[in-house]
Amino acid sequence: MRRRLPEVLAVAAAAAAIAGCGSTSDHPLRVALAALATKPPATTTSSSTTSSSTASSGASCSHPEASLRPGAVMPTPGAVPHGSFMERIQRRGYLRAGVDQNTLLFAYFNPQDRNIEGFEIDLLRQIAKAIFGNPDAIQFRAVTTNERSDALRDGSVDIVADAFTITCERRRQVDFSTVYFDAGQQVLVPSNSAARSVKDLGGKRVCATIGSTTILKLKTLKPRVVAYGVPQRTDCLVALQQGLVDAISSDSSILLGYEAQDPETKIVGPRFADEPYGMAISKAHPEFVRFVNGVLARMRADGTWERIYAHWLGKVTHAKTPAPPTAQYEH
Amino acid sequence: MFVYRSEFAVEAHPLDTVARPGAPTRTAALWQRLRRRAITTPGKLALVSMLVVAGALCFGVVATLAERSRADAARAARTQSEPLLVKAVTLYNSLSDANATATTTFLTGGLEPPQRRAHYLQDLRLATGSLTTLTRDISGSGEARSAVRTISDELPVYSGRVEAARANNLQGFPVGAAYLRQASNLLAVTILPAANRLYAIEAQRLGDDYRSGTSNAPLVALGIAIALSLVILIAAQRFVARISRRILNVWMLLATLVIAGVSVWAVVGLVGERNALIRAQRDGSDSVEVLTASRVLLSRAQSDQSLTLVGRGSDEASPADFQKVMSVLSPQGGMLAVVGPLAARTGTGQDAQRLAQEFADYRNQAGKVTALQDSGRIGDAIKLAVADAASPSSPAARLSFDLAAQANAAQARFQSQAADATSALSGLEIAIPVLAVAAAILALVGLRQRAREYR
Repeated sequence: MRRRLPEVLAVAAAAAAIAGCGSTSDHPLRVALAALATKPPATTTSSSTTSSSTASSGASCSHPEASLRPGAVMPTPGAVPHGSFMERIQRRGYLRAGVDQNTLLFAYFNPQDRNIEGFEIDLLRQIAKAIFGNPDAIQFRAVTTNERSDALRDGSVDIVADAFTITCERRRQVDFSTVYFDAGQQVLVPSNSAARSVKDLGGKRVCATIGSTTILKLKTLKPRVVAYGVPQRTDCLVALQQGLVDAISSDSSILLGYEAQDPETKIVGPRFADEPYGMAISKAHPEFVRFVNGVLARMRADGTWERIYAHWLGKVTHAKTPAPPTAQYEH
Repeated sequence: MFVYRSEFAVEAHPLDTVARPGAPTRTAALWQRLRRRAITTPGKLALVSMLVVAGALCFGVVATLAERSRADAARAARTQSEPLLVKAVTLYNSLSDANATATTTFLTGGLEPPQRRAHYLQDLRLATGSLTTLTRDISGSGEARSAVRTISDELPVYSGRVEAARANNLQGFPVGAAYLRQASNLLAVTILPAANRLYAIEAQRLGDDYRSGTSNAPLVALGIAIALSLVILIAAQRFVARISRRILNVWMLLATLVIAGVSVWAVVGLVGERNALIRAQRDGSDSVEVLTASRVLLSRAQSDQSLTLVGRGSDEASPADFQKVMSVLSPQGGMLAVVGPLAARTGTGQDAQRLAQEFADYRNQAGKVTALQDSGRIGDAIKLAVADAASPSSPAARLSFDLAAQANAAQARFQSQAADATSALSGLEIAIPVLAVAAAILALVGLRQRAREYR
């Protein structure tokens, strides 16, 4: 018996050894779970920087809307002055314009025909026509509110028309053309709302884009409204349609686009803040600012501006086409 | 002082009982009789019989418990936790794919290709189907139930928003993009994390089954029980040989052979089951997990890419997420780098290489779309993305298809190995108790033959 015992134990040990080879590990599972838990990287909200640049009304100037006077004679298409920025554009073969693509009526990518269209787009095409004689010699590039000033400075676009309100603060970074559209802050409510103006919205929830000049203005209103911030412009209409807010406040241009998308809404009350839009151009090209102002002046004079306005905005405003905004020039 | 006194008191106690008449003398007498009987040969034989029976029964009980614990775990892995994990994966995958489909289809504008629409609806059906199974079969875990409830509650909201997005998109209204973004956001922030929790819970459960199905404890316990019962049997036979001067006791030899035989069977079964289960994980479910996670991430990258185009430059989060997901997927240090070594285990390394090539193609193609968009040719970018989404031979489609096909192949490997694991133990469930009792009876018969000689 003494001799057998070690032998038996040896057999048992051998069995354990066979069993011990290879083992389970949950390493691949941990890798899979870690990969699936990938968090979206933090991005700076495009609006936060806008607020810092536009909110500080500290930078004041007497006439922010006054732009550079156009030359006495407008260059004809294809014969722009030698050495000018327009000549560089001409050599490239197309104008590069920074636009928004989500604002119905103003600048909008139409998913059906995959074209960018709207009031601002047609105005920009007139600039291209003035350089090349061809309104289609233009490339539209989507720029966010955040990056439009940088896009001008680094030269990736020549001009920006993107509901860009002229302010003293912004004039320090870029040059603006004369005003091409006089927008103003208003409110949009459901068509069954009893509110007749923003004054009737005391204590109600009003939607605006986070960090916009609009939302800052909302916070100063009397009677007080509850500001409801969303990350992107079009999110406000969703919030209104889902009953999350009682009204939307934005520039009249944007509200017109909302109204066109939802017949059960209406714009009410007078505008309670002015938002004059200008086309932005890099400070490095004053000759191009004068050129653009010349094109705008011609459009004001020959009825082109009114025609474009009526085409895009006439059917929603149901009002007579207003006179184009008067150009103001520096002295 | 007190301590010493108490010790004295304890020692004094037995003296007191001995001093009392009656009971102690009776126990002492019984003890005397037993000792006298035990030193006689029949007495010794009775004692040995008890030991042998106890050894055989102890072997039977321990071996049965060892076999049960392994068989239960292997069966649970094969028939419960892995199928549930597959359901959780299907849910996760179909939800991700539904969103990738909805977002790319949105890009086509008004006229949706019918097969894209069918694909989206099929994904939703798969998701709700898996959800039904999971609702029925998840047991116990409150976390799993709350995850299932979250998905059941939010999925209709999600699909409602997708439909609102379509309806607006059809009319050319940009608010459709906002609805789509809201739907995607609901999926990314609420629904997919719940699907991920569910997946993690089920994967954990499978891991637990693997651990108990491959644990060494039952095998060690079995080894000890085998050793003990054999040692007792052999010692008993030596004793019997000495007192009867007959070297062979056929009955007891048979009992020993039965125990040895069933021991070998049980050890082979347990080792075989363990190895098959390890293979089921190494060759099967490991790859299933990594491949399906890659597929979920691919869907997320596709959704990101479409949302970037839908945002037309206003969306900065989606392109950033796309870049991050692509680096997590990448064969250079990402998920697809893990697929290679896993595939090498089953000799399918070339499949993993094909995945890496398809990923490179996809990244290339996505780069073309991004370049078009960045250069302002958004219409062309969308045209390319839409053509890719519709084509079954686009890089994304090929990568997705291949990931699914390889995951299915790995799933089949899991199923066959897991089936081997359970069949390795088949029969033992009955054989161990029956044969252990048989061995005890055989040994008793042998011992009684000898005992009879002393009547």
